[in-house]
Amino acid sequence: MTPSQFKPSQIEPSQINPSQINLRQIVGQIGLWLSVLVIVSPAILFFLWMASLSLKFEVDNAAYPPVFIPEHFAWKNYADVLASNRFLTYFVNSLIVTGSATALALLVGVPAGYGIARMAAHKSAIVILIARITPGLSYLIPLFLLFQWLGLLGTLVPQIIIHLVVTVPIVIWIMIGYFETTPMELEEAALIDGAGRWQVFRHVALPIARPGIAVAFILAVIFSWNNFVFGIVLAGRETRTLPVAVYNMISFDQLSWGPLAAAALIVTFPVLLLTVLAQRQIVAGLTAGAVKGG
Amino acid sequence: MSALTQSAPAAAQSDAAPEKELRPPSYWPFVVPALVVVLAIIIFPWVFTIWMSLNEWKVGAPTTFVGISNYLRLTSDPRFLEAVGHTMVYTVLSVVLPLILGTLSAVVFHQKFAGRGFLRGIFIMPMMATPVAIALVWTMMFHPQLGVLNYLLSLVGIPAQLWVFHPATVIPSLVLVETWQWTPLVMLIVLGGLAAIPTEPYESAQIDGASFWQVFRFITLPLIMPFLFIAGMIRMIDAVKSFDIIFAITQGGPGSASETINIYLYSVAFTYYDLGYGSAIAVVFFLLIVALAAVMLYARQRMLWTEIARGA
Amino acid sequence: MANHNISRRTLLTGTAAAGALSLTGLPARAEVNWKKYAGTKLEVILAKGPRGDNLQKNIKEFTELTGIQVESEQIPEQQQRQKVVIELTSGRPSFDVVHLSYHVQKRQFEKAGWLADMTPFMKDPALTAPDLVESDFSAAGLQYAKNDKGQMLSLPWSVDYFILYYNKELFQKKGVAVPKTFDEMVAAAEKLTDAKDGTYGFVGRGLRNANMTLWTNFFLNYGGEFLDAKGNILTDGPEAIAATKLYQTLLTKVAPPGVAGFNWMESMASFTQGRSAMWIDGVGWAPPLEDPAASRVVGKVGYTVVPAGPKGQYSATYGDGIGIAAASKNKEAAYLLCQWVVSKKQGARLLQAGGGVPFRNSILNDAEVQSGVKMPKEWLQSVIDSAKISKLGLPVVIPVAEFRDLVGAALTSTLSGADPATELKKAHEQYRPILERSEKA
Repeated sequence: MTPSQFKPSQIEPSQINPSQINLRQIVGQIGLWLSVLVIVSPAILFFLWMASLSLKFEVDNAAYPPVFIPEHFAWKNYADVLASNRFLTYFVNSLIVTGSATALALLVGVPAGYGIARMAAHKSAIVILIARITPGLSYLIPLFLLFQWLGLLGTLVPQIIIHLVVTVPIVIWIMIGYFETTPMELEEAALIDGAGRWQVFRHVALPIARPGIAVAFILAVIFSWNNFVFGIVLAGRETRTLPVAVYNMISFDQLSWGPLAAAALIVTFPVLLLTVLAQRQIVAGLTAGAVKGG
Repeated sequence: MSALTQSAPAAAQSDAAPEKELRPPSYWPFVVPALVVVLAIIIFPWVFTIWMSLNEWKVGAPTTFVGISNYLRLTSDPRFLEAVGHTMVYTVLSVVLPLILGTLSAVVFHQKFAGRGFLRGIFIMPMMATPVAIALVWTMMFHPQLGVLNYLLSLVGIPAQLWVFHPATVIPSLVLVETWQWTPLVMLIVLGGLAAIPTEPYESAQIDGASFWQVFRFITLPLIMPFLFIAGMIRMIDAVKSFDIIFAITQGGPGSASETINIYLYSVAFTYYDLGYGSAIAVVFFLLIVALAAVMLYARQRMLWTEIARGA
Repeated sequence: MANHNISRRTLLTGTAAAGALSLTGLPARAEVNWKKYAGTKLEVILAKGPRGDNLQKNIKEFTELTGIQVESEQIPEQQQRQKVVIELTSGRPSFDVVHLSYHVQKRQFEKAGWLADMTPFMKDPALTAPDLVESDFSAAGLQYAKNDKGQMLSLPWSVDYFILYYNKELFQKKGVAVPKTFDEMVAAAEKLTDAKDGTYGFVGRGLRNANMTLWTNFFLNYGGEFLDAKGNILTDGPEAIAATKLYQTLLTKVAPPGVAGFNWMESMASFTQGRSAMWIDGVGWAPPLEDPAASRVVGKVGYTVVPAGPKGQYSATYGDGIGIAAASKNKEAAYLLCQWVVSKKQGARLLQAGGGVPFRNSILNDAEVQSGVKMPKEWLQSVIDSAKISKLGLPVVIPVAEFRDLVGAALTSTLSGADPATELKKAHEQYRPILERSEKA
């Protein structure tokens, strides 16, 4: 990472002496691409290897030197996962739990992030942070007893509620950071024009913050979707979420890396898909921020 | 250079401006619903946990009130004290490495190049994937005899490592996974910060002929500080509480070389079913994280003030 | 989903009343009235594994026989244990029948009173088939299932003996004979180790907690006893130190690198790849070893009893049982299910698939059942021979998990060079107060 790698693209090319452009730009481009390669390759290699694991029979998976592309693809690893009973139920459960927990978190978290940012009331943020700081394990036993007493076990409600512990703080924190950087001028102008604070929030702050909400949404979905510690205790046979169900598939009596990798990819797929679909949203959010700055 | 140093405090001041003008409590209605939700979910568990921590309560046996004796037991429990040490080492490494790598990646991804969106999507995949499954794949990769990592090392002539299978290398190896997984989060947050930076300072820096490092150090870094702070805070809390990865890969081993407080807490509560003692650990663990967070908040506050003081 | 639950609950209370009635008007009939509890619905919680598979695969037969509906699910062992304990503690478990690991949970379940007493059911000819008698279970099974008062709190389901797996091909190549004693085993392992080639003489569990099941087999063969008459733990005595030295030698000198982090799974991976010549572990791994999709040593595996130590030859024994939650409202129906689970037919299926070994001698010694075993003959022989030298592999105390963790960690540290006697002493200094606290409570 030498400075010269970044300088050319950091600075508008039109402002640089034309005779220097070509060489420096080329060197800069090469350096840039090398850095991108270095940065992205751990992720690429890992997931390729994971895909490779998921498509191999166990003999190949435990072979040394490792086999990257096997002679025979073990498609049955995927078929086994998808054919396992109640897969659809678990998928729907996951959608409901993650969807509800994220929607509720956005509903209360976005205004909260706004309020805290505008008041600069970081002390109240700390109260909310407590939920995030509390070790997840310490919620489990008390809440299990509480939900049993309320007769809610066997429904998805306990999991939706406990997932709020994960999603609400994330949303608030992202939104505080976002609202702190959005401009005040418009809001102040609206206030002077006699608009109420809720109207300002609704019509001025919220539209600007949409990209920030997208980021908060994505992060809340990920954390909620991937959580499995809560589900182990709170979920029953009918209310299990996908990660818990998949974790339960890990067989006790054999080396099941193939099916496990297949299951892991299947679980991850919806989240990855979401990322790809929302990628534009994130980029738009970032661009809006950049435009605003300029 | 003078232009550089002045622009940073200017941003800090505009950040601080709303504090003076908009103090009235009329923003509370925005915050109250979230506060109610969070408090409703956490108050009962907390009261219950504190109460449990004052009792000798092993599952299947009657409970007896024992006052603070569970807490006293902590002070002479060598496993707990060791776990505190492991947690600290693990946390520091798992905050610092992703912050550095995440910032560098954000600087790279802030450049314009073909396929940036796609590559950024790939880059953030590790944090999207389900931690438990990821951890199990890493376990296979760490395998000293059959693992792909040792094979890759052998290609470049480095002798085989024991990774998570040796007490001396287990924590660094786990941090490697943690870093791999969470650098993207830091990158995303910092990228948001970079996008919000105005271009004027860069233009003036250009005119002043500042080097890349000077630009980064005196413009970029101060301006993305609030974002780095948030990233560091989230990272710290997640790293201290890190569970899935350690549990799935080593369960605290070999021996107890990677047993962090959270892993020990899990063992006490869910394997030994010593709920009273486990609750005491949970309370102390919580206080420890609060203390760490407070130190970070204090550091940020001080940083803001020094920035403002320097500008004034 | 909520509706489903409500209907189940009303159903449960209805059948509970029926069950209570039937208990009082007990007719002295000689035959089991299988259909008496038809229409009852049972919930079963199982630990994931071949035992659970065997139950789920054939459960339709039970429903046809009794008219009892069974809902069951398998959860990975560790989570199943947690979930079961949390639910039982709450006093309102969601299941009627529970699959338990004796070597971990026996004392805990007994002390907490979570299991229903089956003794009266077993004496009732209307509930119990004539072939199900106490004396048919092996001694280890009865030791596990009965409490101090002699009540049967569960039915012994499947026993796990530790045996020696060895790679015949590697043995032949180096001209090594199958070891009969620990000394021979160490010598053989040294000859079989070829670090340059990446093959090692021995592999076994080095991971804390898991390693205790291997170590205790050494301990037993050095003449060790877990507890004295007063219930004091003895696993830091001279036998324990000798066992630890053997453990240290094997796992540091002739085992693959990184063995300190190996559980059964990593050990098996090394063995199935033909990179380790000997492996001591539970008897249930034959199916994956003989599965061409998972193993490179199919047909080359030898099975035999664990070699003798200086003070004896034992097979460390662990086991599963099936019991009825004391809070269940369908105890009789649940008992019928437990009985079916350990029946000859089900036990034979389990043994024949190599998924487990029934505690019942009438199944294990049945020539017809034996001839249907799909695993190699040597495997079956090792099972039969191990049964004769079976001895419980862990102390029967409440804090088993703490014992496995603390002493197991001590063993693991000896693998990085620590002194066995010092480490054991340190671990026991920590363990003794824990044991005292839980046993006196």
